[in-house]
Amino acid sequence: MRGNKKWANAYLVFVFLILYTPIIYLIYYSFNSGGTMHDFEGFTLEWYKEVIGDTRLWIIVLNTLTIALLAAAISTILGVMGALAIYYVKKRQMKQLLLTLNNVLIVSPDVIIGASFLILFTIIGIQLGFTSVLLSHIAFSVPIVVLMVLPKLQEMSPTLIDAARDLGANQWDVLTKVILPFITPGIFAGFFMALTYSLDDFAVTFFVTGNGFSTLSVEIYSRARQGISLSINALSTLLFLFTVVLVIGYYFISQKSSTLYGMRGRRK
Amino acid sequence: MRKLISFFAAVFFASFVLLYVSVQLNKTEGYAGENTLTVYNWGDYIDPALIKKFEKQTGIKVIYQTFDSNEAMMAKIAQGGTTFDVAVPSEYAVSKMKEDGLLIPLDHSKLPNLKYINPRFLNLSFDPGNKYSVPYFWGTVGIVYNREMLGGKKITSWNDLWDKDLRNQILLVDGAREVIGMGLNSLHYSLNDTNKKHLQEAKEKLDRLTPNVKAIVGDEIKMLLANEEAAIGVVWSGDAAEIIAENDNLDYVVPKEGSNLWFDNMVIPKTAKNIEGAHRFINFMLDPKNAAQNAEYVGYSTPNEKALDYLPKEITEDKRFYPDFESIGNLEVYENLGKRMLAYYNELFLQFKMHRK
Repeated sequence: MRGNKKWANAYLVFVFLILYTPIIYLIYYSFNSGGTMHDFEGFTLEWYKEVIGDTRLWIIVLNTLTIALLAAAISTILGVMGALAIYYVKKRQMKQLLLTLNNVLIVSPDVIIGASFLILFTIIGIQLGFTSVLLSHIAFSVPIVVLMVLPKLQEMSPTLIDAARDLGANQWDVLTKVILPFITPGIFAGFFMALTYSLDDFAVTFFVTGNGFSTLSVEIYSRARQGISLSINALSTLLFLFTVVLVIGYYFISQKSSTLYGMRGRRK
Repeated sequence: MRKLISFFAAVFFASFVLLYVSVQLNKTEGYAGENTLTVYNWGDYIDPALIKKFEKQTGIKVIYQTFDSNEAMMAKIAQGGTTFDVAVPSEYAVSKMKEDGLLIPLDHSKLPNLKYINPRFLNLSFDPGNKYSVPYFWGTVGIVYNREMLGGKKITSWNDLWDKDLRNQILLVDGAREVIGMGLNSLHYSLNDTNKKHLQEAKEKLDRLTPNVKAIVGDEIKMLLANEEAAIGVVWSGDAAEIIAENDNLDYVVPKEGSNLWFDNMVIPKTAKNIEGAHRFINFMLDPKNAAQNAEYVGYSTPNEKALDYLPKEITEDKRFYPDFESIGNLEVYENLGKRMLAYYNELFLQFKMHRK
């Protein structure tokens, strides 16, 4: 048994090494004074200075975060509504049809979605920029949220709703006091899924950006044409540290709230 | 429920704060004002200090956007919905955009600095009379080779590449016209040949090159050559200048059979909002001092004759990047061959790529 555990740990370490090596490699060379991703010549903070002095880059970072947060929030609200609608459909075939239509959007290639959005926006005369990017991000995030929320709804026992009804709850009460609290984990999962999808989307965004508006992935791509400048490494390092801080913060918050709930449970 | 509501309220609040900050930043930087100019150029293809200088001189705020291929740029401009004021297409893209009605004619009275351009680079087949375009940079396609790895062997012509000793040593750029053109040139045909028999012949000749070809790659070719992953690469001259600066063992040659002469050109696309500003920007870039500064930063060859006076001698006397045209007469500009012929070139190139070693 003990030997097994050792192997399991070794395997775990190995997998994490593979996953993190590229990131560490990138961070390491962000300090290279040589200006390339090979031959480490000396330590420098020059690239970080360049990033901090580049206002355009910061505007793009802010744009990316704004788009991601707004798109995730709006698509979560729409997606929860959609999941509820699918849940309440009585006919089985209709339900299947709706779900398939939803899934087709997830499976279809980003490039096609992006190209069709570009055509749509130019036909109806929406200027490419903030609005076009936000709308397309909401559109491709909604199906994901639906898919994350629906299993939670199906998991919920229908007797819960019946019981609430018996106790005199109206439609609104059932929704806000029974269903939504039950599917809250699914909603959060959907939100964070949509957030990551929006943050790292390249293909769709590439088609619908324009007029000086850009997101980080598109900007890095166009800067990379002449060989990636190490300021991109520096920026990636900063963003990586930012996400690490966020994850740690999230961990402490969830720890705190779970102990609170635990205490409340005991007092009862 | 309360948890959900407060969570979403916080998210919306945070995003509006972020939005506010970025709008404020845009304002202080001047991007949101009326007096702006959107420049659409290749990545890292201008000295950023020049943009600052232009902004200071004219009070116009420049929004600088980049693209990575002529096709992507043309698609965005053709679609509309953007406000690019100046774009920098290559010569064949200029003639295509001209045909599609995507360009606004230039007002030469607003471009007095046009007189500094070497007449050799004006009035070319892709834009007679420079009605729509002004050359920005020019260069050639040629061979970069590693002296050390080849052990003193000299490369001077395309046909040297077929040498049996060069097994698995050659990297090619992933461009149909460049590679098929190399085959045509090695047989002393024109780069714009539309005779299908000649093209077949070139393709068969290229098939015989496959044992020597290590890979057909994109922009990473610069890194691979600088790291000595292969001894020989077929590249554009600007890329060559960049890698030679990185690795002293490398040298560049324009093959004696002839090669391609290419231009990137400044144009005003039909999406332009600030046509006056666009002319001022183009004229600013044509100023000899500015052109020299830009050429030194970017590393490509400038068509601006007066600018050569401001460049260091080591650069302007380097025959590899500023060849005298008398010695190599066979430099040809790509002509727009039409959709059909281009598809045929691509087809041949694809067949070559699929050819088994």
